[in-house]
Amino acid sequence: MDKDIVDFALKHAMEKKVSYAEARAHSINHEELVVKNGVLDAYASLVDSGFCVRVLVDGGIGFASTNKWERDEAKAIVEIAYKYAKMAKRKDKISFAEEKSVKSNWEVLEKQKIEDVSPETRIDTMMDLDKALTTQGIHVAARMLGLETDLTEKYFTNTEGSVISSYVPRIYAGGFLTVIENGKPEQSYKAFGSSGGWEALEAWNLTEQMINEAKILQKVIKEAKPVKPGKTDLLCGPEVTGIAAHESCGHPMEADRILGREMSQAGRSFIYPNGSYWLGTKIGSSAVTIIDDPAVKNSYGYYAYDDEGIKARPRYLYKEGVINELLHNRETAAKLNTRSNGSSRAIKYDREAIVRMANTFVQPGEMNEEEIFEDVKRGVYMRSFTEWNIDDKRFNQRYVGREAFAIKNGEITNMVARPVIETTTQIFWSAVDAVSKKVEFDAATCGKGDPMQGAPVYTGGPIIRLREVYVK
Amino acid sequence: MSEVIAETENIVKMGKNLGADEVIAKTIFGRYRQTRFSNNQVDISAAWNDYVTDVMLTWKRRLVATEIRNFQNVEESVKRLFSLAKASKENPTYGGVARGKFSYQKSRADKAVGNLENPAEYVFEAIEAARNEAGPNINAGGILFSSLENVYLVSSEGPIGEDTRSAIELSIRAFSEREASGHGVECSSTLNNFDPARAGRKAGEIAKQARNPKPGIEGQYDVIFDPLFVGSLLGMWGRMTSAFSVMIQLSVFVNKLGQKVASETVTLRDNPAAYSMGNRVFDDEGVPARENVLIGKGVLKTYLHNTSTAKKFQTETTGNAGIVVPTPWNLELDAGSMNREEMFREVKHGLYLTNTWYTRFQNWAKGDFSTIPRDGIFLVEGGEIKQSWKDVRISDNALRMLNNIAGISKERQPVHWWIEARPPSLSPYILMKDVQITRPK
Repeated sequence: MDKDIVDFALKHAMEKKVSYAEARAHSINHEELVVKNGVLDAYASLVDSGFCVRVLVDGGIGFASTNKWERDEAKAIVEIAYKYAKMAKRKDKISFAEEKSVKSNWEVLEKQKIEDVSPETRIDTMMDLDKALTTQGIHVAARMLGLETDLTEKYFTNTEGSVISSYVPRIYAGGFLTVIENGKPEQSYKAFGSSGGWEALEAWNLTEQMINEAKILQKVIKEAKPVKPGKTDLLCGPEVTGIAAHESCGHPMEADRILGREMSQAGRSFIYPNGSYWLGTKIGSSAVTIIDDPAVKNSYGYYAYDDEGIKARPRYLYKEGVINELLHNRETAAKLNTRSNGSSRAIKYDREAIVRMANTFVQPGEMNEEEIFEDVKRGVYMRSFTEWNIDDKRFNQRYVGREAFAIKNGEITNMVARPVIETTTQIFWSAVDAVSKKVEFDAATCGKGDPMQGAPVYTGGPIIRLREVYVK
Repeated sequence: MSEVIAETENIVKMGKNLGADEVIAKTIFGRYRQTRFSNNQVDISAAWNDYVTDVMLTWKRRLVATEIRNFQNVEESVKRLFSLAKASKENPTYGGVARGKFSYQKSRADKAVGNLENPAEYVFEAIEAARNEAGPNINAGGILFSSLENVYLVSSEGPIGEDTRSAIELSIRAFSEREASGHGVECSSTLNNFDPARAGRKAGEIAKQARNPKPGIEGQYDVIFDPLFVGSLLGMWGRMTSAFSVMIQLSVFVNKLGQKVASETVTLRDNPAAYSMGNRVFDDEGVPARENVLIGKGVLKTYLHNTSTAKKFQTETTGNAGIVVPTPWNLELDAGSMNREEMFREVKHGLYLTNTWYTRFQNWAKGDFSTIPRDGIFLVEGGEIKQSWKDVRISDNALRMLNNIAGISKERQPVHWWIEARPPSLSPYILMKDVQITRPK
């Protein structure tokens, strides 16, 4: 990465009448392989590297990027960003919330460096996994197993004097399985992700977890019985708790969405100024506190400073059931008279940094697992989910169970087939009366932006207990 | 021969000289421009220039790929790629890439798309059109996106070609009230046919009708789908015809070639035609891109193939490479015999759905899924819109829905929107029987 060219781009921008300018470079060393039904389909290795400038001129924003590391190109992108910013002709001028300048050089450490792991080791890891899946006496009729690593080097500098360099290695694995028994298929996708080194793979217990997943699918086909629709207690495992926290708390708390900036794509929010739901409004029971924290060590969504140079910190989104703190970048913070809380992320050099979640989870409570089950007379335990979605104001949502069980008199009994909860954000979080002690995380890729920016995140939480919700 | 073709060919020669069996290099110079807007104002305008050569190389049935963006170290990149092939593992199912020389249609791309002087003007035109339909207090947001790509492809197996691909789209969502919105899109490969106001009018018209929405009621309804919604459905069905999707069971079409999978009114094509944002003259192997009938009068005719997947399925490539994943370029549902008004007259008690998002499956092989209608959701009674609804979901089955198509309109519209209505398509209105509607409890 030639930081001099990035500095040169910023210097050139400063020679113009800009209120603010920044230059940002990303260099991503990416390796990826796909094993499909027992054969290595392809192995890709590449370096995606380039830089961008963003300028604020007369209340309008211009952005331009290139992957040509040349001074003439740097000048050219500054010129076009400047021209585009002036083109906006906004009536209400955009401004950025004030922040102190930062000088930092941070990185995520690797115990076992990813770059030292040979292609052969990577391939063998996934081929061995495929072999393990096909020698369990389960008909795993289709398998797609992927492994990806990204070594991301970034450099950020702005007109306020911030200069930040960073290095984050990330590793991701995912498996899509189809198990067929008696002609009936069941499917699942399971993902694993961390920041850090190759050691993550061991921590995941990838093979054990994927084999377990295949066994679950087989059991669902053989044993699961339909649910009798009606009101019942529902216990959500960490995977389900996590997706609900992400979809019906994290997303609606994104300030850019609230201000309408994503209105034609990812939509708006049920939370907005002067609406029925705003800061201070009750949205759930007092048992519910949901945090978004970029600083979870070795998490898939980890970062120390965001892509506007703001130090990361935990954000208490819903606190004891009350709408508490939005996710902000500098633009939204200025609009709502507050400070950025470091939520601005871009996945590549050629993408604008926008408001994103990092690691969103329900805060653990006091109960152990036995306690949370023991006074459930009749209920459903949805341990994991398959189909899910939510409307674009983030209020009407649906989660369909993948591994799920009936609960009778505090005991887990038979498996149930694809139980569905289709409800509102208010009903879901208000029904929570107990939260267990142990938080677990799942890796996910959060989609937002246009062009789409898939951001690495964790979703998570403990087991939560919902009383008397409609399950079908 | 252009200079870029010569440089691209040089990469192929480097790979061959190292001992590779097959090498394909595809160089793209892309100029992409986007203006994003919300609250009737421009939020940001962005420009990104991308210079990249995609290289795939095989050696003893080991397939590896890279993207070269640093052209100072091309030889080093190719050497590294060849080393990777040697470290890789044989894929016994790999069936090679296309061989021979092909002639291609002349690209009819519009280079003016790459030189828009003031893209914000298109945005203001669309907002004004929406305002004229729905009144001065609308709140509109969306994007204007344009791309111009110069594509140069050289394969060691013979194909060599140049293509220029142009695309421009405007997407506008207008809110007449907090929970009343309409969405319009305008998609083209050329500026000649590009009318931003048309998208604005559509968004405004739906937003106006969508005012004062009531919570919807669960049940089974006959539904008229707007072309924008149909674009999402076509994408869902079209991607399932990729041989890759079939092989990993991300498809309801596994083992269904030659079988009835849709109502007889349904003929679905993939056609990378000049009008479309998905226009191209060759695929990623250099095979001429062509029109393919995927479903003909309700019967599944073919999967989408590259050379390798075609060999596995004992057929010919359809010109849809993706080196690894065959992909549709531009889906077209053949026009039917009804016009929009006739279609509405058919509906005694049903719904008109204008857009959707967040389509997710619980089982791709079975086809069970749900999707969430957004923007105008209308109750239709006696052929007329009676009420605006909100908060409903389609919870149904992809194969069942294909078989329940009862009518297709004569009118069709090029459609593409974000990650939802993709790939680009030529979409009519469709009338579908007995669609399952659910709502939150």
